[in-house]
Amino acid sequence: MSEHDSILGRRFTRRTILQGSALAGVGAFLAACGAPAQSTGPTTAPSSAASGEPAPSSPAAEATPSEILNFANWPLYIDQDEGSPPVSPTLEQFKAKYGTTVNYVEAVNDNDQFFGTIQPPLQAGQDTGWDITVLTDWMAARLIRLGWVETIDTANTPNFVANLRDVYKAVDWDPENNLRAPWQSGLTGLGFDEATTGNVTSLDALWTDDPRWKGKVWLLSEMRDTVGLTLLKLGIMPEDFTLEQAGAALAEIQKTVDAGIVRSFLGNDYKEGLVKGDLVLGTAWSGDMIIAKGEKASLAFNIPDQGGMLWTDNMQIPKGAQHKYTAELMIDWVYDPEIAAQLAAYIQYVSPVAGCQEAIAKNPDPEVAALADNPLMFPDDATLGTVHIFRALSEEEEISLNDEFSKVTGN
Amino acid sequence: MTVAPAAGRTRGTARQRSTRWLGRNFLYLYTAAAIVYLMLPIVVMIVFSFNDPVGKSNFTWVQFSLDAWLRPFGALGLQSAVFASLRIAFISTVVATILGTLIGLALTRYTFRGRAATNLFIFLPMATPEIVLGASLLTMFVSIGQPRNELTILIAHIMFNISFVVVTVRARLAGFPRHLEEAAMDLGATEWVTFWKVTFPLIFPGVMAAALLAFSLSIDDFVITNFTAGQTVTFPMYIYGSYRVGVPVQVNVIGTIIFLTAVGAVLLSTVLQRRDRSA
Amino acid sequence: MGQLLRRYRFLVPYLLLAPGLIWLAVYYVYPAVQMFIASFWSGSISQGFTFSFANWTNYTEALDRYSEQFVRSIIFAGLATLLTFAISFPLAYTIAFRGGRYKNLLLFLVIAPFFTSFLLRVISWRTILGDDGLLLGPLKAIGLLPEDFRVLATPVAVITGIAYNFLPFMTLPIYVSLEKIDRRLLEAGQDLYATPFMTFRRVTFPLALPGVFAGTLLTFIPAMGDYVNAELLGQTPATRMIGNVIQSRFLTNNDYPTASALSFILMAGILVAVALYARVLGTEELTSGAV
Repeated sequence: MSEHDSILGRRFTRRTILQGSALAGVGAFLAACGAPAQSTGPTTAPSSAASGEPAPSSPAAEATPSEILNFANWPLYIDQDEGSPPVSPTLEQFKAKYGTTVNYVEAVNDNDQFFGTIQPPLQAGQDTGWDITVLTDWMAARLIRLGWVETIDTANTPNFVANLRDVYKAVDWDPENNLRAPWQSGLTGLGFDEATTGNVTSLDALWTDDPRWKGKVWLLSEMRDTVGLTLLKLGIMPEDFTLEQAGAALAEIQKTVDAGIVRSFLGNDYKEGLVKGDLVLGTAWSGDMIIAKGEKASLAFNIPDQGGMLWTDNMQIPKGAQHKYTAELMIDWVYDPEIAAQLAAYIQYVSPVAGCQEAIAKNPDPEVAALADNPLMFPDDATLGTVHIFRALSEEEEISLNDEFSKVTGN
Repeated sequence: MTVAPAAGRTRGTARQRSTRWLGRNFLYLYTAAAIVYLMLPIVVMIVFSFNDPVGKSNFTWVQFSLDAWLRPFGALGLQSAVFASLRIAFISTVVATILGTLIGLALTRYTFRGRAATNLFIFLPMATPEIVLGASLLTMFVSIGQPRNELTILIAHIMFNISFVVVTVRARLAGFPRHLEEAAMDLGATEWVTFWKVTFPLIFPGVMAAALLAFSLSIDDFVITNFTAGQTVTFPMYIYGSYRVGVPVQVNVIGTIIFLTAVGAVLLSTVLQRRDRSA
Repeated sequence: MGQLLRRYRFLVPYLLLAPGLIWLAVYYVYPAVQMFIASFWSGSISQGFTFSFANWTNYTEALDRYSEQFVRSIIFAGLATLLTFAISFPLAYTIAFRGGRYKNLLLFLVIAPFFTSFLLRVISWRTILGDDGLLLGPLKAIGLLPEDFRVLATPVAVITGIAYNFLPFMTLPIYVSLEKIDRRLLEAGQDLYATPFMTFRRVTFPLALPGVFAGTLLTFIPAMGDYVNAELLGQTPATRMIGNVIQSRFLTNNDYPTASALSFILMAGILVAVALYARVLGTEELTSGAV
C-alpha cells in the first residue's frame, strides 16, 4: 500500500506544478468560451485534491433539487424529439417539475472503456463528474464490489421501490436493491434475415456450414453474451459454470471462426450489416432487432431453443457524486409508469418498471399502443424462464476469461 | 489524294494511333484516375448528406431530402460535439501557428548550432504513428493524475500541429526576399518596424496556409483525441461512437460544411494573393 | 537598446525556437519517456502499477502473444506503402513535370481529403465497398463478379484503406524532390543522347529518392499503427493489426504495461528509421516539404 500511496503523493505535486505553470491561462480561456448549459463532458469538481486529500463524498444532505444533473448513458437510450438539437421530452418534463437542467451525454459506448475513464478519479477518492452512470450488470457489480457507488436513499425513491419488477429483485450482488436501479433490459438471441436463412431457432445454426450463411455470420464482441450462448449450446448453464467449461466454450467458438462461418465479432454495428446484406445470421439484441425490422421487414429475432441471455443496464450513483439527491429524484422519475412508457416506446427494450405495459397499451397512437403486445418488449413469464443470466465473476476469473476471449477475437 | 505525312512519321492504323495516344497521355489519364480515387469518398459523403434514409442506417440511397440540411444538429449530442471540436481547433490553431511560425522563421533565416537536431526533432511527431502519440500522452496524464478532458485534447492537438505548421511555413518562406528587409533597414527602419511592415505581410499567406492546415488537422483528428479525451466528445469521436448504431445524416452535413469551408478559405486566399500581386 | 540587441543577436534563433520546442519536449518527449517507463510496470489498474526493471519480460511476452498481429501489420503496412508509392509517384511526377498552370490546383486536390474527417472517409469507403454497394453491386448485377464476392472484411479492404489515407503523405515529399530537380540536368541527359527512359532511370529517379524515402517514413510505420481501417473495413479477427491490440489493451483492458511495450516497439522503429535517414540523407529535407 505504501508504494501506491507514495505514487499518489508524487502525482499530485507534479500535477499541481504542470497545471499551474502551463495551463492556467488556457484553462481560463476555455472556461470563458465554453458553450452554455450543454457542455460535452460533466462539470468537474474543483480540484480540492491539490492538497493531496480526497475530496469529501457527497455534500451534507441537500433537500432541494440542484441546478444541474450530470447523466451518462448509452446511445439511443432516451426519447428524443425532432428538434435541432433534439431534446428529450422525459428530461424536459423533469426540468419543468424540479427546475434541474440535465446534462445528458451519450458517453458510454463500451463498459470497459467508460470504466477506464471513471476509474482514476474513483480510485483517488474524487468526484467523477457524473451523478448517474448506466452500466451493464457485470460492470455495475464490479463497481459495487470496489465500493465505488453511493447507496440510494430509498426514502427519496418511492416509485422505484414500488414499481421495480420482481425478476430484478434480490440479485446476489445487490441484495437490498439500493445500489443500482435497472434502466432497461434486453434479451440476447438469434438475429437473422428470414428471406435468406429461413426461420432459425437453434444455436447450432451458427456452427453449421450452410451456403446460405457461411461467411455472413457474426458473433457479439460482448464476451458474456457470446460465451453465455455457447455454454447454452453445449448444454451448460451460464448461471453456474466452471472456468474449464468456459474454456471448452471458447474452443467451440474458435471452431466456427476457423471454419470460416463467422465473419466478425461486432457490437451494435451488426445492425448495419444485416440491413445492408453483408450479414444474414448471428447473435443479436432484442431491441436492436425491433428497430432493424422497421428498416428491413425480413429481419427477425428468436430466442434459441437452447435458451437466450438476459442482461440489464443499470443506473448507479458513483461515489462522490455532487448531486446525489437530484439523482435519486431522477431514478424515481423514470420509475413512474407513464414516464417509463414514454421511454420504452422510443427505446424498445425491456422495461424494468411494473405498470409500463399497461401504460403503453393506453397510448392514443395505435402504433405505440401495439407495442404493449410485443413479446420482445414485454416478455411473459414463460419467455423469461428461457433466458439466463451470466454468473458473477471474481476479478481473476474476469481477467482470465477476457484474456482468452480476446485471443479468439484477435485482440 | 492525301498529303504526304511529315518526314519520319507515319499515320499508322487506328490501333497504333490509339496506343500511341495512350502512351503519350498515359500520365494524364493516370493522374485523372488518381484524383477521382482521392475525391471519391468525399463525393460520397456529400451525396449521402442529401439522403433520407429509412431508420438509422445511411449507406443505401433512398431518396433525396434536404431534411438533414435544415436540421443540421438534429442528432442528440451532435451540437456539443461540434462546438467542442471548433473550440479546440480554434485555440490549438492559434497556439500551434504562433509556435510553429517562430520555429519556421528560425530554421529559414538563421544558421545555428543544433539545426540538424531541430529538424529531426520537428519531423519526429509527423512520422510517429498517431496511436503512439495518443497512447504516450495518455500514459503521462495517468501517471501524473491529470484527468483527461478538453484541456488534454487541446494540449495534444497543439503538439502535433506544430510540426505541420513548421513544414508549411518553411515551404512558403523559401525564396523569401531578404533584400526587401535589408532595403527597409537601409532606409532607416528599426528591426521591429521592418518586421511588422515588411516581413510579416510577406509571410502572412504562408502563415495563413499553415493555420488552415492546422485547423483542419485538429478538427478532423480522431486517434490522438480518442486517447486523450476522457469523457469529452468531439465531432470525430461522435462519429466513432455512432457508427455502430448508425451514423446520422447530420454527420455528413457537418462534414460537408467543414470541407466546403476549408475549400472556400483556400480559394479566398488564392484570390486575395492574386489581387495583391496585381495591385 | 539597439546596442544590447546587437550583442545578443546570436540568441535570436534560439529564442524563436524555444517556445515550440519546449512544448514538444514536454508533450512529446516526456510522454514517450513515460510510456517507456510504463512498459516496465506490472500490476493492474485497480490495484496500482509498480515499476521494476525485471518487467522487461513485458516486451517478450507481448511480442510472443501478439506475434501474429505484429507480422500481419508489417505485411499490411508494407503492401499499403507499395500501393501508395505506385499511385503517388506517377501522380507527383505528372504534377511536377506536366502540371504547368494547374500545379497548385492539383496539389490542392491531393491535400483536399485532409479537410474531411478521417473517420468519415473510412465510413464512406465502407459504403462504397459494401457487398452490394456502389462498387460491387453493379459489377455483380452484370455478372462480372460472383455473388459471394466481397471486399469488406478482407485484407484487401484494409490495405487499400490504409493506402488511401497515406496518399498525401507520400505524394507531397516526392513532389517536392521532383520539383527541385534542376531541369538543366535533364536537358544535359538528352544532349548526351539518353532516351527519355534512361534519363528517368539515371537522373530523375535517383534525385527523387530522398522524397521517396521521406514519404515511406511518413507512411510505413504510421500505417503499422493504424487501427481504424482494420476495425471498420477489416472487421474480422483475421485482419486485426497491432494498432487494434494497442487500442484495446489501453482503452478496454487498461493493460498499460503490455500496451506501452507494444507502442514503444513502434516508437523505437520510427526512431531508428529516422536516424538512418538522417545519417544517409541529412536532415534538411525533413522539414522543407511543400504543403
